[in-house]
Amino acid sequence: MTRPVEQLVIVGGGTAGWLTAGVIAARHQGRIKAGKVSVTLVESPNVPIIGVGEGTWPTLRTTLEKMGVSETAFFRECDVAFKQGAKFARWTTGRDDDFYYHPLMLPQGFAQVNLVPHWLGGMQDRSFCDAVCPQGELCEEGLAPKTITTPEYQAVANYAYHLDAGKFAPFLTRHCTEKLGVRHVQADVTGVNLAATGDIASIDTRQAGKIEGDLFVDCTGFSSLLLGGALGVPFRDCGDILFCDRALAVQVPYDTADAAMASHTISTAQSSGWIWDIGLPTRRGTGHVYSSRHTTDEQAEEELARYVGPAIKDLSVRKITIRSGHRETFWKNNCVAVGLAAGFLEPLEASAIVLIELSARLIAEQMPVCREVMDIIAARFNETTSYRWGRIIDFLKLHYVLTRRTDTAFWRDNLDPDTIPDRLKTLLHLWKYQSPWCFDEFDRLEEVFPAASYQYVLYGMGFRTEVTPEDNAATEALARRHITENVAATQRLRTQLPRNRDLIRKIHEYGMQPI
Amino acid sequence: MTNIVVLNTEAHKDVRVRAKASARFGDDQRFVPVVVGEFALLAVHYPILLSKDAETGAFYAGAMLGFDDRENLFLDEARGFDAYRPLSLRRAPFFAAGDELAIDLDSPRVSRNDGEALFDETGAPTAYLQGVMAAFRELKPGLERTKRFLETLLSLKLVETVTIDLAFDDGTRRITEGLYTIDQDALRALPDDAVVDLFRKGYLQLIYLMIASLKQVPVLARRKNLKLLEA
Repeated sequence: MTRPVEQLVIVGGGTAGWLTAGVIAARHQGRIKAGKVSVTLVESPNVPIIGVGEGTWPTLRTTLEKMGVSETAFFRECDVAFKQGAKFARWTTGRDDDFYYHPLMLPQGFAQVNLVPHWLGGMQDRSFCDAVCPQGELCEEGLAPKTITTPEYQAVANYAYHLDAGKFAPFLTRHCTEKLGVRHVQADVTGVNLAATGDIASIDTRQAGKIEGDLFVDCTGFSSLLLGGALGVPFRDCGDILFCDRALAVQVPYDTADAAMASHTISTAQSSGWIWDIGLPTRRGTGHVYSSRHTTDEQAEEELARYVGPAIKDLSVRKITIRSGHRETFWKNNCVAVGLAAGFLEPLEASAIVLIELSARLIAEQMPVCREVMDIIAARFNETTSYRWGRIIDFLKLHYVLTRRTDTAFWRDNLDPDTIPDRLKTLLHLWKYQSPWCFDEFDRLEEVFPAASYQYVLYGMGFRTEVTPEDNAATEALARRHITENVAATQRLRTQLPRNRDLIRKIHEYGMQPI
Repeated sequence: MTNIVVLNTEAHKDVRVRAKASARFGDDQRFVPVVVGEFALLAVHYPILLSKDAETGAFYAGAMLGFDDRENLFLDEARGFDAYRPLSLRRAPFFAAGDELAIDLDSPRVSRNDGEALFDETGAPTAYLQGVMAAFRELKPGLERTKRFLETLLSLKLVETVTIDLAFDDGTRRITEGLYTIDQDALRALPDDAVVDLFRKGYLQLIYLMIASLKQVPVLARRKNLKLLEA
């Protein structure tokens, strides 16, 4: 007699809980409608949502589309704006004119030819990003990634979103409960009951009594009530690699309702950290992420004030303590953690929401049919998820180790070899002689950051890979064709695409068409 | 420039309008907006397709008159329009201003000495102006009806993109983009109650007129071929 997995209980709302509920419920609509599977989300009516995750990856387009969300409704109800990548300012030299882009479009002809050695070999009159893709220029000119006639979820230039996390969770709540048959229980969790096997049998709640389940998803945020608390899975701190442990967040209004709005995240390096700047239609979300070991709260606030300008004196600044790291394992017994309950990393590359999506999809696609096979799925999930966290940590650290800044202890300490993960060290050694590309080791089907992302950061920050003309000869003609094509594509998109804010206004006024 | 004013019997008693179809008066259009009331008249000449308004992204229905920019393959400068002339071309240079009729006095169609008079000696509308007024009586509710029809098509997911890719005898090729038609697979898959509803609203006939009008694409291509060979 097998024990089927029929009752899925997600504990905790917020972005993690509702995205996970939506992804799983959309994937298993048939079984939910037939009454064979239930998805229940238990959410405390009293615990506030953390809600600073406002940057996303293009994966969110597919995720929302699969959930059956209207992109127009999403824009209108969650204060959404386009994100075409990130601009990193003052990360390399710290000077005023120091910046590079990590765009969301792949380099031209990425599947056919690696343009890096060709660019290094004599095309450096333009930045790497501008030489291989149009998106940096589109961002600099404040253009949108599509037009009003482009259907929902389709792009002219690849894009993700900036969103208001405080509005996103309630928006998903409505969608999941009204369209996808997710049961919503508003209750505070007071206890977790374990069975003799070590599995979670049920949770006790103050308002709704005991809730039983076959599989529990822990989306309780930093507290990690189920996985960290009841099942005792320890937290692995990575503050020795990524130093930032504090954030000061402040929402900045625009001077005028029609003020230009960036269609990219701006990340500006500071003396002991960096400031994020995310443009939403109604306001900018900014914040200073810094290392308390290298600076004081007062100095961090002063740097944020200098960035925001005099307007900050009337704005409320929120202080958040962060702890970089993740659980040692993510799925134990019949409990899997998603979101902050699984871990947290500084939002340098907007990895939080994409990790939620990838985890939710993995659970949805590999949903164990019965308890007997759950441990097999759990082992796979843990292997893949550990790999992803490791990769993200490496990728974030990459931004710090390529700096040439030596002005403060923060930047100097980041170069200490003891703070650099071994795998990253090995890769940096390799990349001195050959650049990362398709046939590199980023070969997973759902790699969080593909080889293209490494290229943009490495060569945006002036990393040198040795190239010889002889190596380039075989692909010289092909590379030149793609470089020329990029010039034409850039020119075409610059005339074709509207101003970022104009398109957002039109989406609010007219909506986007479904096809 | 345009100078649109409400039509007035007194002020515009001497205004004349060059009503005939001509490229220099704006009949040189390859895709002309149409309303559902015209579909039966259009379908025997033109492909009826959907396109998107560049400003708003909204769908609208149109008749395809040519392939290239400003190409109307049905326009003959000597003989005029060689087929049913869509209302939106026939109404020029007039516009609706609420319940009243307005005219663009800067339109090249407007003249003092040649063309159709608007009013007779008694100040009553001429047969020409009465024809224009009749066109607007069809156009105004027609636009609203067309909008509702298109909304129904979209909500039932009956719209799909269509790419017309043609090779002509002179070796050139035309690929049209941004055009849409009825998704016939989706139409066949509709549940019975939806089909009955479409029929009762008169939409089913419109849908089949659009499907049948696709047969005008090769006819239109033949016109283009002949024109290319003449040139």
